[in-house]
Amino acid sequence: MSPESVLCWSEDPDLAGQLVRLARSVASGPEDRVFAASFDPPSDDGSRRIAEAGAHVLIRPNPAGPASTDPHVVASELRALVDTSHVTLVLLGSTKRGREIAGRLAGLLDAPAETGVARVHLDAGAVVVEREMLSGNALAQETLIARPAVVAIMPDVSASSPPPTVPVVQQVPSTSPAPLSERLELRPKPSGGVRLESAERIVTIGRGLQKKDDLVLIEALATALGASVGCTRPLAAEAGWLSDDHWIGLTGHRVKPRLYIAIGVSGAVQHLVGMRDSQTVVAINKDPNAPIFGQADYRVTGDLYAVVPALTKALDAK
Amino acid sequence: MAAPQLRILVAVKHGVDVGLARADRTTGVVALDTAPRKTSDFDRNAVEEAVRIRERLGGRVTAISVGSASAREALRDAVAIGADDAILVTDPAVPVFDTRAVSRVLAAVSRTLGGFDLFLLGEGSSDHFAGLVGPRVAGELGVADVAYVRKLTVDATGVVAEKDLERELEVVRASFPVIVTVGQEINTPRLPTFMATLKASKKEIRQLSVAEIGLDAAHLDPTVRIDRAAVPATTRKQVTITGNTPDEVARTLVDALRTEGALP
Ligand SMILES: Cc1cc2nc3c(=O)[nH]c(=O)nc-3n(C[C@H](O)[C@H](O)[C@H](O)COP(=O)(O)OP(=O)(O)OC[C@H]3O[C@@H](n4cnc5c(N)ncnc54)[C@H](O)[C@@H]3O)c2cc1C
Repeated sequence: MSPESVLCWSEDPDLAGQLVRLARSVASGPEDRVFAASFDPPSDDGSRRIAEAGAHVLIRPNPAGPASTDPHVVASELRALVDTSHVTLVLLGSTKRGREIAGRLAGLLDAPAETGVARVHLDAGAVVVEREMLSGNALAQETLIARPAVVAIMPDVSASSPPPTVPVVQQVPSTSPAPLSERLELRPKPSGGVRLESAERIVTIGRGLQKKDDLVLIEALATALGASVGCTRPLAAEAGWLSDDHWIGLTGHRVKPRLYIAIGVSGAVQHLVGMRDSQTVVAINKDPNAPIFGQADYRVTGDLYAVVPALTKALDAK
Repeated sequence: MAAPQLRILVAVKHGVDVGLARADRTTGVVALDTAPRKTSDFDRNAVEEAVRIRERLGGRVTAISVGSASAREALRDAVAIGADDAILVTDPAVPVFDTRAVSRVLAAVSRTLGGFDLFLLGEGSSDHFAGLVGPRVAGELGVADVAYVRKLTVDATGVVAEKDLERELEVVRASFPVIVTVGQEINTPRLPTFMATLKASKKEIRQLSVAEIGLDAAHLDPTVRIDRAAVPATTRKQVTITGNTPDEVARTLVDALRTEGALP
């Protein structure tokens, strides 16, 4: 088998570090090489940290100033690195930007690609990935037959920690592609200040809640539990009662807390996919046939307006 | 001289109906080839957006589907919402689960049609949800792309699009030709009237083979193979908590969670 040459890139330096660690466990042969691309200035702390994760970091600082986020520029620069470093596998982060770049880059390379990947390994030269399908209903195993292959990895995929290496940061000339789009504005989304991905406990509220004011009941329970508040899509995208950072599911955030309490949540597949990896799941719903009960460790059939205050009281009592 | 008409393309997928697909009882395996199909959710939003733009600025909306003969259903949905023309590329040579093959076909159709100003797609399909096809077609054609768009303004020369990222909103300007992918937050697709649905059922669908769009079938061999798709077994405890009063239920639940070590 010819040696692997893996190129990692993510716009998020933490995720880029995770990709490097994953790459080193996937391509661990003595002649395999792991590169990481960075478009930040060489002085940037991010590229040093990525190098410390064990990659040979190739920096293509944009001479025109701050790195462009135009997908064409990013994909073209990565494509040039794929060519010069004889890359066999590109690992990107499966964020929205990462998936967009994965598509563009795969188009430039005429390469097989997959996103939302939770596991990856090499098997007789082919790249084998595991990912969700059917809006999260199913898990699929797929084989990417041709090389190079482009794979976008879900954040927080664990990898064994590889042995330390000497960090290398090398500057290489940019190919300076002209951008095809221009950023007019970048602003943070309204936020409730939660990061559900790292929450230990989550109390999720769905359309069982009748009005926005009743959120106080949910917040009181969350406080008693030391939990963050999550929600289903309708509460964020349609009602706008909570900001997008609370939204859990296929098109929201993926969470894996120690404890997940779903209240007035029916349990649509697009929601379940976001919480499936929770350790203990409690469902509170007035409909005994709600699908969420099929995914629960503890099932409480009842009106949330009675059960939630009682639960808050029971927690505060102890 | 009249301004040239806006040429808008929109891709629609007749994908697996995730609500109806059934798994084998013992193995959990879902037979993707025979599963019931429907128009992918976000593609309706893409068609709706295309039709709204035409209603405002004029032009022509051409819906394209790549798939088996059943993909006519997706094209009829698109015409019922308001697409002017419908093109189906159906050819046994196209592996419809391979984003590379589908993207190459879409790029080739657009070339056969003489190009476009705006090409709209769903940002992901309900069954595969990879988010690859739109940017991939853009990469192949070397045109601009803006993915995950929630707000789209079109003028005579290009678009201003608001991209929804995980924690930020990014506003981007791109000139024609441009590929834009959208999700369900961008609009609420209209429910076609009875008349529109009837008319759509009679609409002629132009059918093209791979050769007719200038592709060599040998270059569409799948590069990704789906080895297995299965519904994972659930291992939840499924304990029902009961009690005579909400307080009793609450205490029982708290005790159970304490015993598990799930509480602080
Ligand atoms: C492409 C696509 C992507 C999607 N992505 C997501 C996603 O990321 N996240 C997501 O959540 N959804 C997503 N959805 C939407 C999803 O399909 C469901 O519509 C949504 O999850 C339903 O939210 P819900 O459970 O809050 O509401 P409902 O389905 O309306 O359920 C409300 C529940 O509350 C219960 N209830 C009502 N009153 C009470 C009461 N007083 N006490 C106790 N229980 C009560 C009812 O019995 C019911 O079970 C997506 C859909 C599509 C098509």
